[in-house]
Amino acid sequence: MAESGHGKVVKLPDRDPKPAFSKEDLVFASEEKKRIAGFVEEYEKPDGAIMKALWLAQEKFGFLHPDVIQLVADEVGIPYAQAYGVATFYTQYYKNKTGKYVLDVCTCFSCQVCGGYDILHYLEEKLEIHKGETTDDGLFTIQEVECLGACGSAPMLQVTNGPYVHHLTREKVDALVDALQNGQMPSFTSITLPQDEDEMGGNRRTDVDKTEAYRTPPVAETVE
Amino acid sequence: MEAKTAKTKAGEWRKYERVLLPPIKDLHRIDVYEANGGYKALKDAIKGEKWTPTAVTDEVKASGLRGRGGASFGCGLKWSFMPKPDGGPRYLCCNGDESEPGTFKDRQLMEYNPHLVFEGIMIACYAMSISTCYLYVRGEYADWIDQMETELAKAYAKGYVGKNILGSDFSCELIIHKGAGAYICGEETSLMESLEGKRAYPRIKPPFPAQYGVFGRPTTINNVETLACVPLILERGASWYAGLGAAKHPGPVLYGISGHVNRPGVYEYPTGMLITDLIEEVARGVRGGKKVKAVVPGGSSTPPLRADMIDGVTMDVESLREAGSMMGTAGMLVMDEDTDMVSWLRRVTHFYHHESCGQCTPCREGTGWLEDIVSRIERGEGRVRDLDLLADLCSQMEGRTVCALADAAAWPVRYTIDRFRDEFVARCRPSHVAVPALPESELEEAET
Ligand SMILES: Cc1cc2nc3c(=O)[nH]c(=O)nc-3n(C[C@H](O)[C@H](O)[C@H](O)COP(=O)(O)O)c2cc1C
Ligand code: SF4
Ligand code: FES
Repeated sequence: MAESGHGKVVKLPDRDPKPAFSKEDLVFASEEKKRIAGFVEEYEKPDGAIMKALWLAQEKFGFLHPDVIQLVADEVGIPYAQAYGVATFYTQYYKNKTGKYVLDVCTCFSCQVCGGYDILHYLEEKLEIHKGETTDDGLFTIQEVECLGACGSAPMLQVTNGPYVHHLTREKVDALVDALQNGQMPSFTSITLPQDEDEMGGNRRTDVDKTEAYRTPPVAETVE
Repeated sequence: MEAKTAKTKAGEWRKYERVLLPPIKDLHRIDVYEANGGYKALKDAIKGEKWTPTAVTDEVKASGLRGRGGASFGCGLKWSFMPKPDGGPRYLCCNGDESEPGTFKDRQLMEYNPHLVFEGIMIACYAMSISTCYLYVRGEYADWIDQMETELAKAYAKGYVGKNILGSDFSCELIIHKGAGAYICGEETSLMESLEGKRAYPRIKPPFPAQYGVFGRPTTINNVETLACVPLILERGASWYAGLGAAKHPGPVLYGISGHVNRPGVYEYPTGMLITDLIEEVARGVRGGKKVKAVVPGGSSTPPLRADMIDGVTMDVESLREAGSMMGTAGMLVMDEDTDMVSWLRRVTHFYHHESCGQCTPCREGTGWLEDIVSRIERGEGRVRDLDLLADLCSQMEGRTVCALADAAAWPVRYTIDRFRDEFVARCRPSHVAVPALPESELEEAET
């Protein structure tokens, strides 16, 4: 019988021979565990904490690999399937490894008619990748996104779920890419309200380094 | 000039003094906010004899405040739907998801006057005997969430939020919930599902949130700007508020103007502004001296108006309904004469296709078909009969789904094609095969 294979223990190949994270890395520090416990406190049922916990995990691990989702689900105390369902519902949770900097270019609605596609195409040519792809050096990923709520300062983009860069031109894109290559994230920009400019002579905030005023948007060359 | 002013329901808007975003340096800081009379309305409400919870609700009702999140529903009326407290938890959700394309006003309010929002939330919670509020902010606003967390901690430390507010026996937690990129989470029932840690599929109504909301408990959902109006109403009185702007849709509004204007931005004026005033004077006209082609008054879901349809139209529910559109979020997009409406509509349909949650077949499939067919027309491969097909598709989607996203997707398609039909027809392939007439013999046969 043994010759024909019956009764023999078949050794299955390793499910994931090269795991994205080693067992030692795939843990939360006690500080992080405390923060997640704090999130759980904020909701009537622990489930409510899953989004904040996923955010925390993404900041730590870079993206939400299934093993990371498992870790988060265990920490929050909900089934893996539910955590996976949440992680895959929202666009800002990265399901795959991304470049170090993710450039989310808005081409929606107002940005479209003010040159959002010009910026997207310019970036694609400059970095020699299509939207959705990552450069070979692992630095940049380009994504085309829906309205980011900054339509008055179109065209604009967001860097890795963080700072907004407004009033984009090709020169501004060049400067941004250069700065990022040197590891410099753009800083927070406060957009001055037109009425503040008229009534207070500038931005109302004195605690931000960078301010920009609303200005006439450029003429779009392509609308796709 | 004077005659023009008299026509607008906004009254003497050129002399309007801002209240949501008054011209005060560093108003976002709690000390500055307090020094300018901040949190006084909350103090009065909680400590004064005058303001019982019912009296606050009645005052809001009397002010005529309508929701600024898109549906323009009466705010006081919505509050009065909350059942009597039964000792269990009740919730307020402050909707800062702001993902409607063309809308960017809540973000500016949260950056420049966050304490007004917190104060409004606390007064609303007091009025409805609520002990927990979730401020749901879209995940993209990460920087603004961080800044609000800092200010919120100060409000907690000063006893405006948290346990035994200002020494009274009223306690209320305020928790900022960070979204993660989904337009649908702005829809109120979807927002609640998201808070519960589920995939954010909208719920079938009824039961309405006031009966069965977050974690199955009574819940009220209000937009950020709506709640920011509440302290002002208590402070200055309902009649002051009701007297501002359009009679049936009063109050100050943050108009977000974007697109082909010389000076886009967020502007605070009363409701009932003439659209032409907003474009020509407030936003300083269309860039390059071009003519207006189309105006979308309140975010992507509201039907666009052709330039010849905006004369005399004011920004309030009634006037816009009459003109064939809606107030929405007052996020206005202005497009000049060179705009390609076919490409523009294609991008709008792409948005709704991308953002449909996929629960209902008419929406999941319909939004995809809308995008496919409009894209085909954009490429010059469509046929004129596709326009009828699109209208038919819209009819199959409207009012047949769990939430209003399907309607919001159908309206721009229906009305853009209706109002710019020539442009769409010109893009379609000409029908070069004429339909042959049936020979007479066959016609007779068919009749018998
Ligand atoms: C698809 C969809 C998206 C919505 N998005 C938002 C939003 O981003 N922000 C918002 O305040 N309301 C949004 N709403 C409206 C809310 O469902 C709800 O009516 C509103 O938040 C109630 O607040 P209000 O009465 O103060 O306006 C959306 C509605 C739908 C159908
Ligand atoms: S209408 Fe669309 S977005 Fe709304 S529940 Fe149905 S599928 Fe989801
Ligand atoms: S359309 Fe680009 S930010 Fe709104």
